[in-house]
Amino acid sequence: MKVIKAIYDFLVGDMIILVGVIIAMLVLALINTISAFAPLRAATGFLLVVAVLAVLTATLYREAKGKR
Amino acid sequence: MQWAIAIAAFLASAVEFVEAFTIVLVVGITINWRSSLLGAFAAAATLAAIIATLGVALVKWVPINDFRLVVGIILILFGLKWLKKAILRYSGLKALHDEEAIFEETMAEIRARGETIVPRFQPFGVVLSYKAVLLEGLEVAFIVITFGSSTAVNGITSAAIGATVAGILVIAAGAIIKAPLTKVPENTLKFIVGIMLTSFGTFWAAEGFGFEWPLSDAFIPILVVLYLLASYGLVTWLKWNKQHRLAMANTSSASISTEQEKVHS
Repeated sequence: MKVIKAIYDFLVGDMIILVGVIIAMLVLALINTISAFAPLRAATGFLLVVAVLAVLTATLYREAKGKR
Repeated sequence: MQWAIAIAAFLASAVEFVEAFTIVLVVGITINWRSSLLGAFAAAATLAAIIATLGVALVKWVPINDFRLVVGIILILFGLKWLKKAILRYSGLKALHDEEAIFEETMAEIRARGETIVPRFQPFGVVLSYKAVLLEGLEVAFIVITFGSSTAVNGITSAAIGATVAGILVIAAGAIIKAPLTKVPENTLKFIVGIMLTSFGTFWAAEGFGFEWPLSDAFIPILVVLYLLASYGLVTWLKWNKQHRLAMANTSSASISTEQEKVHS
């Protein structure tokens, strides 16, 4: 358990960032594998930018709320 | 010597070297040079072993897109972690006098006493430098092999010469700009590192999915500007949020003291 915690702290140390990035990657993987989502493939990069900004905003929002 | 191939390989490799060197440079300045150079040399050794083992079959056996995706995801995680901390500091929500600042102060005191500091290896810095150099080094190897294989005579040699010259020039240019960079404040540098890691991470992760960015590698500066603007917006929002909370707290404490005065009178 200590090893997992150490890896988690080393890599990211923030649950919102970790979960957010994992969800974003899973969604992009789905878009790039399921043929029904093929029209969205051309926007993969831009969707990733939006997802990264959404994750950053979410984690900062939590910090701002936590300081209340 | 195939000049057309050498020039093409030089230009394409220079872009990759700049990308790798940017990460090595920021790790060296913000963490320490020992960790940054260890990562870079370890990556160069790994790269040499891979090339010596696989040779031109490298293009066939190394899944470069999968590698880009993994490195991209890790860089996004690292980048967001640093960016979050830097934005919180700029907005005043995270005190600058934290453990890291205390560590920096202690280091400054030691320096002021004239004692030397032996920088420790930081796994974070070593890994960052290693991944960036390995990925970009592989891309350079791909460029040399694919450009070089297009002609039968001296193709690989010409492409390798072009790539080597590009590498030497980029390292020399980096050594020149290293000194002015060390004068930039610590938090600003960490903010820049966060922006750079997130930008490179986004770029490589999307490429890992097979996405082709408009303008190719030239889109990286656009990503940097985009994340800078977004961060500026987030800092402004957090500052406004803090001031709004303080104003609310002042109003409520003023009304409580008025009530108390009324009770006493």
